[in-house]
Amino acid sequence: MFDNFLIRKDSLKNEKDDHGNVIGFTFAARNANYRGVYLSLHNGYYIKVDGIQYKRDVQTFEINGKEPRSFEEIKTAIWEHWDYDDEGIIHVKKEGGLAPGRHTIEFQQSVLAAYGYLPTDEEWVKCPPEPGTGAGSDKTKNIVTYELELQE
Amino acid sequence: MGKIKRGVSLYSYQQAQFFKELDLEGQIREVGENLYGADGIEMLDEMSLRNYPNPPEEFFDQWFSWMEKYGTTPVTMDVFCDVLQFRDHVMSISECADRLKSDIRLAKKMGFKNVRTLATTPVEVMIEALPVAEECDIRMGKEIHAPIPLNGQYVNEIVDYCQKTGTKHLGIVPDWGIFAYRPSEVTLDWYVRQGAKRESCDLVTEICMDNYLGKSDELNKIDLSLYSAGNVESMFHRYLKFGDAPKDLIPAFNKMQGMIRSNVSGYTDIDFEVMGQALLLSRTKAEDLKELMPYIVGIHGKFYNMSEIPEKPGTYQDISMDYEGPIGFLKEQGYEGYINSEYEGQRRFQDRDEAHLISEVDQVRRHQEMLKRLIGE
Repeated sequence: MFDNFLIRKDSLKNEKDDHGNVIGFTFAARNANYRGVYLSLHNGYYIKVDGIQYKRDVQTFEINGKEPRSFEEIKTAIWEHWDYDDEGIIHVKKEGGLAPGRHTIEFQQSVLAAYGYLPTDEEWVKCPPEPGTGAGSDKTKNIVTYELELQE
Repeated sequence: MGKIKRGVSLYSYQQAQFFKELDLEGQIREVGENLYGADGIEMLDEMSLRNYPNPPEEFFDQWFSWMEKYGTTPVTMDVFCDVLQFRDHVMSISECADRLKSDIRLAKKMGFKNVRTLATTPVEVMIEALPVAEECDIRMGKEIHAPIPLNGQYVNEIVDYCQKTGTKHLGIVPDWGIFAYRPSEVTLDWYVRQGAKRESCDLVTEICMDNYLGKSDELNKIDLSLYSAGNVESMFHRYLKFGDAPKDLIPAFNKMQGMIRSNVSGYTDIDFEVMGQALLLSRTKAEDLKELMPYIVGIHGKFYNMSEIPEKPGTYQDISMDYEGPIGFLKEQGYEGYINSEYEGQRRFQDRDEAHLISEVDQVRRHQEMLKRLIGE
């Protein structure tokens, strides 16, 4: 659900460090559900930009007015809620960032929310699923492709 | 004799909230002012509340002032339970019950009369939370959602417990989707836009209608009575992609694939998923409600698409489910509780651009026209 609206269209930007070096890119996303969830359930993203995949180890997530956190840290936010109304910012580490112009982003979110107990529960405690396999994305089953213009 | 009461689950306005067209007050105003006398509010805690599970104290005053201003009343709060919240272990029954108890107290504080739990909530969780429900005088209802039937284990275990103990605080919340007899036209159109063949849509509709009209019993042998629709859909998708699924589901999945293989040429995986829509039907009849009347906490008026009845301008129907039969039956039985509109068709338009999204406000108004007419107000 909300397939075409999960990434805000005008949100793709390069990110600079304190010294002005471009260290990656960011964009804004919403939860692909009709409700919010405890933040700990948020398991990362399948992100491919112009054919290059950026895995969880280069992703951090900024929400609730806090600094961007890795998904290992997010996992421990067991009493913090990601409210339905709120947009989060995904930060992807990539030296030099993205080139100016249009980019093709393939995108799928993984949030381990479900309707009660599932046969996969124990397995996902031991080994959380890889985002992009469809696990944790039951309301947007397919990888969605966005064409986004890099903003200044 | 009293009358069936009308309300709305704010679930219906999920898209308007997503796009910030209607905030919580705007949704309550719409129910109070534009729905021909409807007054019931049903709300999902994790959708409508900011800072769940601890909204600031000022919020509660504001909430009651809205109820007064718009002439509405809190009826049911719908709650959730994601069992992987702690991530280092799967939540135990007691941990789920703790969360439910905390949600019951929150519902009480907001003036709700009922709390709806998910269809898949183990009855043990509800029983462990029951003393808190009794203390707060909140009725807990387990949602009975397609493909779960009214005459299966999930309902029986609730009824048995109520009969054994005499508790008045446990029951069921039937979802109108159990009276659906075919996939909605908006669901099928969505699948066609995703690449499914129109022949597959016609095939699934034909098989469902033959089953409904008693011309075939092809679907009756399939038992998915312990699964929620959302889980069946995502498990079928995973099965098609990776070949793994719970063992008891595999025969039903294979059967759906077989029907496409033998009837539709040039099919792809998505055609199997179209056929899988037939697995989401409960095949429930209105009379199945008879023995369950004392345990009905509230009813979800689920619908997928309200279209104008041919040659009857200004009147509406959902062509995928029976409303007339069950409402007639509920009236006959003297049901005095709420039917709360629960619109679920919006996601079937969200693959398109913003200009082609559907108006939830308009769909709910149409649904309330139908309810009012069938109830006979």
